[in-house]
Amino acid sequence: MNYFLRKLSFYAVALWAALTLNFAIPRLLPGDPVDILLAKLQQRGGTVTPETRKAYALLLGGDTSDPLWVQYWDYLKNLARGDLGTSVSYYPAKVSDVILTSLPWTVVLVGVATVIAALLGVLLGAIVGWKPGTWLDSLVPSTTLLAAVPYFWLALILVYLLARVLGWFPLQGGYDVVLTPGWNGEFIASAIQYGFLPALTIVLASIGGWLLGMRNMMVSTLSEDYILTAEAKGLSPRKILRSYASRNAVLPSVAGFAISLGFVVSGSVITEQVFSYPGIGGRLLGAVTNNDYALMQGVFLFITLAVLGANLLVDLLYGLIDPRTRARA
Amino acid sequence: MSPKNGPRPRAAAALAGAAALGLALSACSGGSADSSSGDALVVYTGQAGDYQINFNPFSPTKIGALGTIYETLFFYNKAEVSEPAPLLATEQAWNEDGTVLSVVLRDGVEWSDGEAFTADDVVFTFDMLKGQPAINASGFDGTVEAQDDTHLTFTFEEPTFVKGPDLMGNTPIVPEHLWKDVNPVEDVMEEPVGTGAYLLKEFKPQAYTLESNPEYWGGEPEIKEVRYLSLSGNQAGADAIAAGTIDWQTGPIPDIQNTNRNFPNYDAYTQWQNQMVLATCSSAELGCEGPQTDPAVRHALYYAIDREQLNSLAFMDTANDMSPAFTLTPSQDQYVSAAVEEPIAPTTAQPDTAADLLEAAGWAKGDDGIYAKDGEKLTLTVEVVTGWTDYITAIDTMASQAKAAGIELTAAQSSWNEWTEKKGSGNFQLAIDSLWQGPAPDPYYLYNYFYDSSSGAEVGGSAGNNYARYENPAVDEAVAALATMPLDDAAGRQSHFDAIQTEIVEDMPYVPIMTGGTTSIWNTAEYTGWPSDEDLYAFPAIWSAYDAAEIFKRLEPKG
Repeated sequence: MNYFLRKLSFYAVALWAALTLNFAIPRLLPGDPVDILLAKLQQRGGTVTPETRKAYALLLGGDTSDPLWVQYWDYLKNLARGDLGTSVSYYPAKVSDVILTSLPWTVVLVGVATVIAALLGVLLGAIVGWKPGTWLDSLVPSTTLLAAVPYFWLALILVYLLARVLGWFPLQGGYDVVLTPGWNGEFIASAIQYGFLPALTIVLASIGGWLLGMRNMMVSTLSEDYILTAEAKGLSPRKILRSYASRNAVLPSVAGFAISLGFVVSGSVITEQVFSYPGIGGRLLGAVTNNDYALMQGVFLFITLAVLGANLLVDLLYGLIDPRTRARA
Repeated sequence: MSPKNGPRPRAAAALAGAAALGLALSACSGGSADSSSGDALVVYTGQAGDYQINFNPFSPTKIGALGTIYETLFFYNKAEVSEPAPLLATEQAWNEDGTVLSVVLRDGVEWSDGEAFTADDVVFTFDMLKGQPAINASGFDGTVEAQDDTHLTFTFEEPTFVKGPDLMGNTPIVPEHLWKDVNPVEDVMEEPVGTGAYLLKEFKPQAYTLESNPEYWGGEPEIKEVRYLSLSGNQAGADAIAAGTIDWQTGPIPDIQNTNRNFPNYDAYTQWQNQMVLATCSSAELGCEGPQTDPAVRHALYYAIDREQLNSLAFMDTANDMSPAFTLTPSQDQYVSAAVEEPIAPTTAQPDTAADLLEAAGWAKGDDGIYAKDGEKLTLTVEVVTGWTDYITAIDTMASQAKAAGIELTAAQSSWNEWTEKKGSGNFQLAIDSLWQGPAPDPYYLYNYFYDSSSGAEVGGSAGNNYARYENPAVDEAVAALATMPLDDAAGRQSHFDAIQTEIVEDMPYVPIMTGGTTSIWNTAEYTGWPSDEDLYAFPAIWSAYDAAEIFKRLEPKG
């Protein structure tokens, strides 16, 4: 129990530190939201008079004159109540509403892509590592090449080939806008059709890391004494691969997987840009360019919670999966 | 052991299934990207990221509905010097001294929920704005009274001619019977009710759709549906044009001059409104530092630019001539003072003129070919926003041109926020930017916004539009005088325009570059009636909401 208590208190401190940083960082940005909103308005053909500036400052800039510690205290209080504030760039919408409309898209797209990439990568890595030095090893450089190519470029090439030239997939968006979002077959089919290409690019770009990690762990595990023992016992190679080598080699990948699940929430800003996909990454980008502190804090909060939560889960699960950590505790 | 066996086959099957499904679906749609657009006119306003519902016409974060759903009293066509076109009102007249504006409203107009539109709605709208400073963007401070259902008067304490276009053409009228019960600042109006030619059909974060109003007073428009799409930015917009999924966007696409050849269904049309400038922190008295505080340097820069070369290298030949008097050319040429010697900025570089100007002001050329004075080298930093690629190319081009004239220019890229901050606080030497127009096609507004000292500030303070910190009593006086004269008093106003133009050409706090083009790419295969040189009835930009609404009403589907 002591082990869990220690872990939990560590995470409480980490959470507080993250929340404080989350408060501080957006405020270090130059510029203020009113100026940026006006600049946007003017770019959109609006006329910006001194009166307009005054009106918008009144509308949005009510609380920025408070001293920092008052803002900090209010921030913590509101957070405790689950109130993330009002978004400036989507005024008067609540930050939580803005985030919640985008979050499902990101979680499903990036989540599914991450799961597929991890499963495929680990599976291929185990097979490649089982027979090091054969032609299968060529999978390692070819997948790491895909991972090394700048992601936006890979994505643009795929868009160009598969969507523009071949026309197999829609170019942009998250669903056919003629349909009404909801749990009906037509809409879900459309969402899958639109999400396939973005997911494919994420899988292609991240599979190399999983494969390489698993393959190397596999190679070093194969030289362990217990594998030799298993072979000497006369177990079938298939059984050794499955239950002895892979099972031990996969441990670091499991930890890595849980952590990458935490990052699913932060989504992929670039994916969403390239595909005009509705999601949290685009919101974050917009919040940063508009000095929308509240929205930025809200998005960061969700990311922080997801990453910390995933880490906590790994820490706790590890105690169960790996007997060695349990023994130490 | 057995649990370990589980995931593999299942995952593989799921993946194969997803792949098959994806392929099957795409096979069904046959790759025709047009299938999703249906019969609607699909437009892209440059909205980056999803829409958040907000159809409150007074909210700075509104996503639409101006002009299409909520109408103003008149429509001002900023593309041409012209009479305002009547919408909800049919006539407007000022009294002699500009304190009373009488307006006659259109008879028989109905709100889209069936209630009658009357003068009370107009009175309500303006009273509401006056009572809510946070949304009173035009600073309305007069009183409105209705004489009967179609006649009303606006009364002001001071001559207010120049505010007229803001009130008549820039203030959407809302229904009293619905708005009296809502918070006009915070309500997002999920079900907007207006008098306009369009109604809100449906809203989704990725797109919202308007449908034509069958009861519209001007007759139901030919375009039955307009869909506003959200994409991730200009690049995505260009992709959508290439794929044929949108019908109208305003923004650059590659090889824009040959749009019609590359995409036979589309054509590009350009109008010029944004006067691109190198804004200077001009006033040494207010704390500006650097060589640009010397007017001779600003003039030398003006003559050092080879605008023809600049246009082809940085602006894909979409920019146009510019007048140092800051009247739009050619649409406002009539306002240019006879005293302005060069009504158009020179199109080629004049390094000799630049050299003469600098030497007369005491600058001397150093060994490295760059001028210097009192040990200070003529080196200037131009602030630009990272990612504004056309402006960055423009600075690079101008830097090499200026070098030939003995001036060193360097670009400093920063984020938009930082750039805005630098301009506001005055911590810059030069900033590349563009000056915008007012609510009516009249140069008064630009002079008032950018040259009047009231919107300037000391360095360190926060400046408004006049971030160049230009301060000239003669200009302030002329701007103030113009505010008391009717906009149609051409003869009387010209002497004040002359005074302003003489001063600003001489001081040149904003160094004219060129007039930037606003290019619309639109579908000419399926729709006719777009604005053209022959009939420029509105400014052709989809993000200019009132203009776009006029265009929707004029368009007709082909065939």
